[in-house]
Amino acid sequence: MALRDLGRASCRALWRDGRPGVGAPINPLARRNIRTRAGAKPRDLNDLESSSFLTPIRHPVPEEKVSTFDPLARSENSKRPLPSSRYQYRSPKYYRGPLHPHQPPRPSDPASREFYAGPFSLPRLQQTYESTIASDILALQYTHYPPGYKAPPRGPRLREWVGDNPYFKGRPPRPPRGSDVLRPLDRPTTFRNIPKVTGVIVHTQASAASKQNDSAYLHVAGMAIQAITGARVEVHKARRSVMQWGLRAGRNIAVTAELKGETMYHFLSKTIEMVMPRIKDYPGVPGTSGDDVGNITFGFKPAELSLYPEIEVNYDAYPPKMIPGCHITVQTSATNDYEARLLLMSMGMPFYGKVQD
Amino acid sequence: MSSGSSGARRLASIATRPDTVCRSCWQSIARRPYSAAAAAVAEAPETPETSSNSNQKAAKDAPKPRIAYQIHAGVCLSRPPQITRDLTPFEESFFLYQKRLNERLSLPFTRYFYIAKGTVAEADWKRKIKARLTPARDIGVFNPFKKQGWNDEVLVGDTLREQESQVDALLKDAIPSAAPGQEGMVVAKEDVLVEKPMPRVTESDITGDRRSLNRLLQRTLYLVVKNSQGKWLFPHDQVVGKEWLHNAAERILVQSGGPNMNTWVVGNHPIGWFRYNFTSILNPDRGTEEIGRKVFFMKARIMAGQADLQNNIFGYQDFAWLSREELEEAVTKKYWDAIKNMLADR
Repeated sequence: MALRDLGRASCRALWRDGRPGVGAPINPLARRNIRTRAGAKPRDLNDLESSSFLTPIRHPVPEEKVSTFDPLARSENSKRPLPSSRYQYRSPKYYRGPLHPHQPPRPSDPASREFYAGPFSLPRLQQTYESTIASDILALQYTHYPPGYKAPPRGPRLREWVGDNPYFKGRPPRPPRGSDVLRPLDRPTTFRNIPKVTGVIVHTQASAASKQNDSAYLHVAGMAIQAITGARVEVHKARRSVMQWGLRAGRNIAVTAELKGETMYHFLSKTIEMVMPRIKDYPGVPGTSGDDVGNITFGFKPAELSLYPEIEVNYDAYPPKMIPGCHITVQTSATNDYEARLLLMSMGMPFYGKVQD
Repeated sequence: MSSGSSGARRLASIATRPDTVCRSCWQSIARRPYSAAAAAVAEAPETPETSSNSNQKAAKDAPKPRIAYQIHAGVCLSRPPQITRDLTPFEESFFLYQKRLNERLSLPFTRYFYIAKGTVAEADWKRKIKARLTPARDIGVFNPFKKQGWNDEVLVGDTLREQESQVDALLKDAIPSAAPGQEGMVVAKEDVLVEKPMPRVTESDITGDRRSLNRLLQRTLYLVVKNSQGKWLFPHDQVVGKEWLHNAAERILVQSGGPNMNTWVVGNHPIGWFRYNFTSILNPDRGTEEIGRKVFFMKARIMAGQADLQNNIFGYQDFAWLSREELEEAVTKKYWDAIKNMLADR
């Protein structure tokens, strides 16, 4: 009842606005000039371009010109060669600072040394996330706060300036018992922060490379990871010596591949839909996995890694005892493990056992 | 304060809950002792409807019924997209350009890592690479490492960028080619060796069968029903007793579409609502005068099965699975304004 009256009252207030100029139509498209009054569409509407992304462009070029256009023949018949300065450009090998006259191009420029081509497709998993998963998670995670709700006050997160000593400024407060780090705050899920996968890291450690002093293990591991991910791997050295694990400081010991965007979605869908269902008696990803801030890690044994189609297709090319296992970390934008697990489960990843949030 | 007295306070407050506040809201407001907002809602003045003088006299004698809305639960049952969407011409061109650029910039294909020397596969590879000049199978005839590698853009009217032609190229590549006069290699029929993908346009699309779930595979489809007055809308019904909205949604799905639907109600909260007024009626059960109806829509997904209106108890005449655009044409303008923001773009 009260609501109904409020609606009427506000309507009336909107109609009877005393400001000058409000009486005129606000929408510029609804305004009409004298010139366009005679039955024609408003001029502003005609000025709007139709999207060329959605409809094929009708070329104003005559048909004969289009059909006879041959760039190869044209370049061969031209008397002067192409200007070399433009076509033989090489990016400087080293970055010599912002004041140097010869600056490298941006990484998005194909002439740059850091340029990577792509994307080459619109991944299916990404489309499923955008069309189905994201809105479902939003509906599932919605928390209703009735009118008049006030969030309970939070305790201090960082130390205030106490007294004269600036030492305490910005330092974390004394932690609660059992925990020694400042956890990120959980925020309510809105349409702006629906959890999504931000990256995947594939890691494998070839201890035998150090133990047996044979770098072949590392090469095979790198080739296998590159084959299944489609991304270049990075090699890591052991930071300190641990005799039990066969680690020696400074030796190359592990490779990782970092996936983002298109390759990340392709790798995830391949893992979830082609590899995991084919592993014999696979229980799933352990429910206790997770680092409390929304990143889930699981592992594959060597026999399971060889189920990836890229390794299966030329399995004979890898020395059978050197095929490594791997750790896969899925990074999400969720702030806790519950939301990250919800996201991965909606993508089809199985979890088993005790769940830990 | 001890938990016992807190529980007693909550019970007391629930007992006085007005019908204008929903149960879960009331519980969360009443949970707080300092709730000023709750008190404001509880003591909200109820302005009586103006009516004729004789009615006013009667109203003085008997307590006036409170004015309220009927609460209905509606179900927005949807089938998510089944296949990827068609790419726009711009996206197709961009992807083809990036693929050719990648061929020019990346290291040559490590042929002997994948294809052993002296095998049948190697002979097949040699013949195919001779024809298309590049290891990539879906970028047409293009040599990235020759002097003319800069000529990597396709001309106007070339169908190479289109999805269908790329699928054809991949299918063609999957068939092993035969060397002329070579023994032991027989060209098999295409259908035997390579499984073709199913068409992206189904039979229901062609016949225009709007009841089929097998139509418009790239789009989200929504179940709408035609009620006894001939209007298309989402199935809905009154919330009975202390039923929650998501329980009501499950009940409505069974009572309207039959048991042959495997559905999942997503979450416990409505995703949209619709209100309309009608000439007021007295509800003796609640002791209220109902002036309209509020329908709260719950989101649901269909996993398997199909709707069947044979035994529906709401008098629905027909049903259809419609996309967003078709829905806009089917329902009234007011209904569309209420529901349009809870529908997916695709």
